[in-house]
Amino acid sequence: MWKEIKEREFGNVRPNLFSSRISKSRVSSIQLSNYKEILSSHRGSVNSLQVDLTESRYLLAGASDASVAVYDIQRATDHDERNLIAKHKPLFVLNKQHEHGHKYAISSAIWYPIDTGLFVTGSYDHHINVWDTNTTQVVMNFKMPGKVYRTAMSSIARSHMLVAAGTEDVQVRLCDIASGAFAHTLSGHRDGVMSLEWSTSSEWVLITGGCDGAIRFWDIRRAGCFRVLDQSCSQFGRRQPLLLRPTTNKVTNFVRLKSSPASQSSSAKVRAHHRKSANGSALKPHTVGRISSLVKTAKQRSHPGMLSSHDRATAHYGVVTGLKVTGDGMYLLSAGSDSRLRLWDIESGCNTLVNFETTRLQSSKAIQMAVTQDSTLAFVPCMAITKVFDIWSGQTKSTFRGHYENVNCCCYNALDQELYTGGNDRQILVWSPPKFVSDETGEGKNGKAAATDDQDNWSD
Amino acid sequence: MEEEREKKVVVVGLIEKAVDSTAAEVDPRLLKAIKFTVRYSDSELRLAAQTLTSLMKRDHSQVRYLALLIIDELFMRSKLFRSLLVENLDQLLSLSIGFRRTHPLPAPASVASVLRSKAIEFLEKWNESFGIHYRQLRLGYDYLKNTLRFQFPNLQANAARAQQERREREMRTKEILLKKFEFLKANFSSIKEEIQTNTDEIDECLEILRTNDEDMPLVPVDNEDMEEFRNSELRQIRLDSLKEGEKVRENSENKVVFDALREFYKVLVTRHLAAVQEWISVLIRVDATDNRFRDSALKNLIDIRNLIQSTRVKCEESGCDLPNIASADEENTWEDGIVETFEKGKSSPTCSKTSDAPSASTDNNPINTEERISSLPKGKEKKNNHSGSKSNPLRSKLMTEAPLLNWGSFLDNWGSKRDVLANQRGLDLDAHWGRVDQDAVIPADKIAELNVRASVYEEDPVEIKPCRAPLRKGGLCQRKDLRVCPFHGLIVPRDEEGNPINESSTTEETALQNLVEEPSQDSDSRVMDQLLKQAVKNVRGRDSEEAKKRELDKQALKKARLAKVREHNVAVMRDAAIASTSRSSHIGEDTQMGDVARSSSSSSKSKKQTLASMLKKKETAKDRLSQRLLNSHARDATIRQLTVAEEANYREAFPNQW
Repeated sequence: MWKEIKEREFGNVRPNLFSSRISKSRVSSIQLSNYKEILSSHRGSVNSLQVDLTESRYLLAGASDASVAVYDIQRATDHDERNLIAKHKPLFVLNKQHEHGHKYAISSAIWYPIDTGLFVTGSYDHHINVWDTNTTQVVMNFKMPGKVYRTAMSSIARSHMLVAAGTEDVQVRLCDIASGAFAHTLSGHRDGVMSLEWSTSSEWVLITGGCDGAIRFWDIRRAGCFRVLDQSCSQFGRRQPLLLRPTTNKVTNFVRLKSSPASQSSSAKVRAHHRKSANGSALKPHTVGRISSLVKTAKQRSHPGMLSSHDRATAHYGVVTGLKVTGDGMYLLSAGSDSRLRLWDIESGCNTLVNFETTRLQSSKAIQMAVTQDSTLAFVPCMAITKVFDIWSGQTKSTFRGHYENVNCCCYNALDQELYTGGNDRQILVWSPPKFVSDETGEGKNGKAAATDDQDNWSD
Repeated sequence: MEEEREKKVVVVGLIEKAVDSTAAEVDPRLLKAIKFTVRYSDSELRLAAQTLTSLMKRDHSQVRYLALLIIDELFMRSKLFRSLLVENLDQLLSLSIGFRRTHPLPAPASVASVLRSKAIEFLEKWNESFGIHYRQLRLGYDYLKNTLRFQFPNLQANAARAQQERREREMRTKEILLKKFEFLKANFSSIKEEIQTNTDEIDECLEILRTNDEDMPLVPVDNEDMEEFRNSELRQIRLDSLKEGEKVRENSENKVVFDALREFYKVLVTRHLAAVQEWISVLIRVDATDNRFRDSALKNLIDIRNLIQSTRVKCEESGCDLPNIASADEENTWEDGIVETFEKGKSSPTCSKTSDAPSASTDNNPINTEERISSLPKGKEKKNNHSGSKSNPLRSKLMTEAPLLNWGSFLDNWGSKRDVLANQRGLDLDAHWGRVDQDAVIPADKIAELNVRASVYEEDPVEIKPCRAPLRKGGLCQRKDLRVCPFHGLIVPRDEEGNPINESSTTEETALQNLVEEPSQDSDSRVMDQLLKQAVKNVRGRDSEEAKKRELDKQALKKARLAKVREHNVAVMRDAAIASTSRSSHIGEDTQMGDVARSSSSSSKSKKQTLASMLKKKETAKDRLSQRLLNSHARDATIRQLTVAEEANYREAFPNQW
């Protein structure tokens, strides 16, 4: 590490590379944190976790007992007597006692992406509430036709303030915070929608996964979905070499065969920009243009007369319980109740056939997966444990045991390289890289005195 | 490399050996050996952790229990072991506590419950000592405590809480005492005054009564009668009754005074005396700053108490019919010896008044009869519970010797040798039906004939000794039978642990003798045969007992038979296993393992058997009864049937185990 610092000082290593290396090494050493503890105030299973996108400081948690809490994960509210463990109590808790609180379990709680002044909760009581963080009052309320499974806001949106909501209902609704009304109703799914994600590369593209096993792509500027992922349509590896691409398509007799040359050219362009930062601050307008042009060509071909066979394609056998788009917006990780994880190439719409080592996934509830910023590792809740997969090879990097019941959600904090998991045992666990030696010495003798307690003690 | 491997085998072997036992503790020597080997080598420790976690997965609570004990030993000592084990803590907990409904604890239920409680205890201990360093420990503890609501023994906290509670209670009582003390200090004089007036009033009442009494004549005492009383007690009673006569009688004239006196007396005893007692106790217990006041008040109070008591005595002596306040006194919380004795002293004369007075008035007093009775030659020594054995030493001595007889009319003329005049009954009928011979006499022997006492034979209570055979669940059989316990055979003298005191030949002989001597009760030859058989079997059983320490013969025999049957079954199964299903391969493994175990140590075989026998279903009472009732032929058949049924049950219950 010191060597790398020296190299950075000499200018041999660029700062970006340096930081990414450091964070990579830290991520790989994540384990159950012994010095940071979130005191969960929830009386039910934790269903949703999200760290705010602006400061990476406030963790929003929604639980089955209809409570939402916000935790400050940077500054501890409490320490244990020996100053070894930092305890984080919730800054505030909103539960059923609140006059506008939800009645039933909260399935999803998300921050407003621009700042921490607002957050949105969706609940099984058919309502989506928009809360003012500072006054902890409901500022807006949407009545949905059924239980709300998942809500999502685009992290890169500049031109709209839409909350996408997947419910029991077959239709996906977009709720406009600005106007307080439903902006869109997207119909296409044949069953409820368990999971949904906004694209991280285009602010208009929404991806939804339904209980019918289909994953659909929507361009909210147009009617209807423009793509349905098909698990039988596959490609090997991360991305096909350019030259091989057409032949593969011919072999598989892909429906969008004719559009492939266009996508080919655009894909090259997209690849050139795919290192842009995830939160979209460096969004390049012409990329969006490219994608939309791609969308257009795709639509021209497929949408009006999209073959019924294609329309019925499924991505999973069973329910699509979780979706996660990688930070660069090029790949989509999906989890299904068939206990499969699939990695999709968004650009081509193909299953990349990465074999994620056999796992068993929770099938009754939506799960929330997490992906590191550089899209190398995926954190997936597998029943009571959380597994870390290498996205490209599908190998299990490590296994986190700590929860005593099923894990529902993971949230990765890229700033601190920390992972937060919430489970049915009401706990929110912090997984973090071990403390640096410098930290320990910084803590002084206090830490050392305590460390001596945990030693071998052979009496005989 | 080879050496390394051999060394590794050492730990694994040690652990397996330690776990392979039915005892409730790990063999301390083995434990020490394990600790010793593990202490100096990390690789050994890793291997030990691995072995122990795999042993925890065994489908046998005993194995898990012993493994858990070893884990605890190592856990408290080695940091590396802790960090290794904590990784899979949830698994360890679910295997030892069985909190997941899908994975309950395995078979021997008694051991399983011990295992669970022990595991909970250990978790608490670990959490207390190392929880701060291991988040997993904290999580596990928290989950079991707050989510599953397991009851932790909570030893330290409990002790602390008890201490705290006691301290609080002490504080509270101190406070109350102090408050009372302050109150007393404030109105001591008024209390004193009140009591004083009360006693004064009583005195006045008594005075009035006494002056009224002056003109009442004394009842003359007829001294001639005195000779009749033969002992001092009776004299005492007599005197008492005379004294009673001297006392003031209540009549219409002094009724008002008596009423007032009664009222005052009641107030005095129930309220003032109680209050004074309480104040005294308060003063004694309180630790006030004002010691001077305390001492003076105490002195005062004691004086008052004495005054009250003397007044009370006066009241009682005055002889007015005082309300009984004893019950009211008993309800008071404070204890007072003086009042108690006083009560007794008061109550004894009334008692004698009621119960002894009529007996004293009868001419033929009971003392005579009792004395006569005692002169009877046959003397069963029984304790006489009658009161009043204190006065006369001779009498008390005789009383101890006197037989205890039921009351009957024969006692009226006990031992009298007189003839009885037949027609002198005080009722003169004057010859309605003819002449009456006034001098007709019933001779004494006739009277005696008429008074022949019928007595019912009562058997002496015989103490039937319990069987005291050791039970399998611990403890001794408490069944009381004369000779044969239906479950454990002939009743033989046994020591504290239920082992028969070994006098095999003699006991058998005595048993036989018993049988011969008492043919009247068991005249049935079949029963005798059975008992004979039983006796023979007992002897055999004792032989096998010596071989297999402390195992009762039938159980052991049956077990052996069962084991044989099972072995046979397994052999048949192995032969019959054709297809390479997972089950059959499993059997192969198992038998191989068994072979290895057998070859490694011959002693482990028997242990293995006992381990397996722990899993076996308990022998039911029905089995045992049938075994005892049926003759040997039928018995064999039933046993075979039962074992087959048991086997089937067993297989159903544990499909993976053979």
